[in-house]
Amino acid sequence: MRRFLVKFFILLMFISGMAQFKLFDISWEIFRVVQPLHIAFSLLVMLFFMNSFIYKHIRRYYFVKKTNSMDGWMLLISFVLVTLSGVYLLLVGNRGGDALGAVLFNIHLFGSFVLMLFFLWHITAPMKQSREPLALLAAILLFYPTISQSKITNLSNLEITKNGTKSYHSEDWTSSAKCKSCHSEIFEQWSNSNHKHIAGSNPYYMVMETLAGEVEGEKFREWCMSCHNPSALSVGFGKSTHAMDGNFVSNEHFEKGAKTLLKDFKEHGNFRLEEGVSCITCHQISDATSKGNASYKLLLDRKKYAFEDSKFTMPHLFSEKLINANPSVHKESYSKELYKDSKYCASCHDESHPKNGIKIVSTYEEWEKSPFNNPNDKTKHKSCIDCHMTNLSEGKFAPLKGTSTDGGTLKKDVKVHYFAGSNHFLAGLRDKKNEEQTVQLLKSSAQLDVAIKGKNLEVGVKNIGAGHHLPTGVADFRELWLDVEVKDKDGKLIVSSGKLKSDGNIEDKSRLFQKVFGDENGKPVGLLFWKYKTLLSDTRIPSGERRVESFELPKDAIYPLKVSVKLNFRIYPQWVSDKVRKVFPILPNPSIIELQRLEKELK
Amino acid sequence: MKKLLSYALLIAIVIVSMMATIAYFTPPKKVPNYSDAELRELAINKGHKAMPSSLDELISLVDDASNPMTQEKITLGEELFFDTNLSKSGKTSCATCHSFDRDLKNSGALLKMLTQKEPKTNDCAACHLRDQSGVDRFTFSQGDRDTMHPHLLNTQTILNTAFAKHFTWSGEVKSIREQSANSLLAHHKLNMTKEDINSTLAKNPKYKKLFAEAFEDGITFDNTAKAIEVYVKTLVTRGAYDKFLDGDDTAMSQRAKRGLANFINHGCKGCHAGRAFGGESVQRFPLREFAQLYDVKPNFEVIPTPKRLDSEFPFENNGGYLGKGDAHLFRVPILRNVTKTSPYFHNGAVPKIREAVDIMGRHQLGRHLTLEQIDEIVAFLKTLEGDIVDYRETK
Repeated sequence: MRRFLVKFFILLMFISGMAQFKLFDISWEIFRVVQPLHIAFSLLVMLFFMNSFIYKHIRRYYFVKKTNSMDGWMLLISFVLVTLSGVYLLLVGNRGGDALGAVLFNIHLFGSFVLMLFFLWHITAPMKQSREPLALLAAILLFYPTISQSKITNLSNLEITKNGTKSYHSEDWTSSAKCKSCHSEIFEQWSNSNHKHIAGSNPYYMVMETLAGEVEGEKFREWCMSCHNPSALSVGFGKSTHAMDGNFVSNEHFEKGAKTLLKDFKEHGNFRLEEGVSCITCHQISDATSKGNASYKLLLDRKKYAFEDSKFTMPHLFSEKLINANPSVHKESYSKELYKDSKYCASCHDESHPKNGIKIVSTYEEWEKSPFNNPNDKTKHKSCIDCHMTNLSEGKFAPLKGTSTDGGTLKKDVKVHYFAGSNHFLAGLRDKKNEEQTVQLLKSSAQLDVAIKGKNLEVGVKNIGAGHHLPTGVADFRELWLDVEVKDKDGKLIVSSGKLKSDGNIEDKSRLFQKVFGDENGKPVGLLFWKYKTLLSDTRIPSGERRVESFELPKDAIYPLKVSVKLNFRIYPQWVSDKVRKVFPILPNPSIIELQRLEKELK
Repeated sequence: MKKLLSYALLIAIVIVSMMATIAYFTPPKKVPNYSDAELRELAINKGHKAMPSSLDELISLVDDASNPMTQEKITLGEELFFDTNLSKSGKTSCATCHSFDRDLKNSGALLKMLTQKEPKTNDCAACHLRDQSGVDRFTFSQGDRDTMHPHLLNTQTILNTAFAKHFTWSGEVKSIREQSANSLLAHHKLNMTKEDINSTLAKNPKYKKLFAEAFEDGITFDNTAKAIEVYVKTLVTRGAYDKFLDGDDTAMSQRAKRGLANFINHGCKGCHAGRAFGGESVQRFPLREFAQLYDVKPNFEVIPTPKRLDSEFPFENNGGYLGKGDAHLFRVPILRNVTKTSPYFHNGAVPKIREAVDIMGRHQLGRHLTLEQIDEIVAFLKTLEGDIVDYRETK
């Protein structure tokens, strides 16, 4: 009986292990069941059966009967190797960070073939005559095509349109809190970024979404939510919600490391929906076009390892071990070539009115026409993530060497998830490191020059660093302007422009680089940017171009002139912050960032 | 030893197979698929009728001989309801906590607030005034001079209370009139005395006139409460659900219709009865606290630490309120507009509607509702959301 069981068990371990071999490409549904069974069964068999059998077997034949068998010893060695590598894969895994993992993975995989060969040799030793047909039969059995099955792809496409027709549940949206245990560094970066705080915890957004609902009807919020809060939209929520702290609005936008999210996940698991742009919002996008207005498809039916959704600690830890032991499926289901493509980002970073189709944000279109889009010359081509997800150091791109998974492969350029853009302010409320990355990026975008042409002082601003207009995005809510001071020989101020008024707004007639939206009657739209019908002005600087602003100098100016020019940036105009503060009184004022400064003496 | 092991194994097998058998023979409750007409008939038969769309119809349903509803009383009641002078500080009115926009058309409350130089509303109301929910959206109520409720009780909606038979969390109050009087006098609400009110009202010629028109005996404390009662009774909301009952099949989504079927078949309707879906009775909560005395989950932790659950409520009982007679008896809350009145339960401990539905399923029905069922029920509850009917227009 024992002799039969040994053969049966070894065959079973081998087959269940082989089933996970990439070559066979078995369906994911079977894979995720076979994998834990293989581990659990092998552990049990090894602990309670095989070890004692091997011990007794060796004792009986080698020590008692004094028979020595070369194939027996070879079998033992391969057995030990396969077992130990298996234990390592379970406990540490093959995450890519250590070469040992990859080596042991291959030992475990190919060692098992060697083991089987020695095993067949060993057990057929007593009956040498019938060896060949048996080996042949075993090989046929093992590689019989029925074992491998065709891939079942019953994965449904989530296409979040503005109507949100397909229905999903909170549990379909795996909480980002889950990703933290293995991707701690990236989680940390994301948790303080503007992508995480883009819905309920973003005061500006909440005011705007509510306002849009009030002015255009509640349904209109869905337009906003399709990019800002797709999870809530998909499960049928009509609006974004914010957390409460007693009778006060929770100060989540000041909170570092997504504490509320982690707490929610601990207490409610996936039952409480994570709102906003979560890890899987981006990492489950299966297809995207550059149309904008959430032109992406989300695929929530991803391949899950066994126990991945378990609410209990032990099975969940086990599922993490399962991923680490064989992470290829996990990697594939969360990362795609598409993610490096600019159109992937364009699906949300281009925006047009949902009804009349008037383009409101056209960052992607700007990039498309810019020198940064150069598919013929790979060295000059720069996509969104080359600037916005690359680490910066001392004002220059300094790709971060490191790992994206704890213990994972060392990468030359880990894509950082600060999503540095222009909003240093809100990210800076939580994390100075994030703010500093953004400010570095901002400062690398423009260059100043001054010269006197006739009676005028000409200040040139060149967009040298951005692959899109400067500023872009919601350019009607961005302030980029020149702060100019000219003093004559005696130090008398003869030209001044771009100063702040006492209420914090920039004085009139300042030189702003911005887009001003007007409604159908040509009046500025103010907060209601979706009312945009006529473009009142567009003084933004396209990529690679230079804009000249000239300031008239008084005729009697005594030379030499001392010119001081600053290129200033403020993420939200004072009047916008003032309005938002009426609803969120503790919101501080965004600071003014001096992007460039030029002091020159002109003769 | 071997025998012992095999017995243990046998017993384990028997137990597991018994559990499996029981589970197999108690399949999840099947909710039939109704046609729209059947569902409508079912809902109406169970008493969940539509809210009246005209004032006459409303009066015929909720009028009370001891305080007949007249137009004069409604006008007076409205004035009183929004009058901040009826509080000690002069800054609080009924509408501070039972908040909704007096302008029932309710367009542009937020925009108005953002563009006002000196906003009159507080920051929460900026966004939530337009909800027309009849609550303050706070976790616990705060009355005049921000006095906290002694038991940290959550404000209940005042809308649709015309159809309620019990009032306040304990349900001990039997009429809106009684509760209006209580609220005017309670120190943590409007903090007035009867004399204060009478003298404040008497000083105002507008009230002299209005009271004289509405009541024979003019300004009295009782008449104040009576006028408020009559006005509050006209605060009735109609939503997509009512449109569905009126014959519009498209008013509710398929999901919401399934939710309504779940609501009726799983027994929610037993307590959340009538037109207002609640307010008609006082019931025990939690009914099935025994179902989860111990949280067994931690037994699967690395170090097993079984913890005893709060046996009083399935959430933290801030404020320590235990219901009527400390016996866990609560008035069944009105579910009309419930999706606008988070947070939930007597102390606002549960912030999300789905979690509230889950708790109700587990502790009142003894049923672990599936995600699908919960989301369907929530979709149905959303159809109970509606705006206050402007009866001046429907006349």
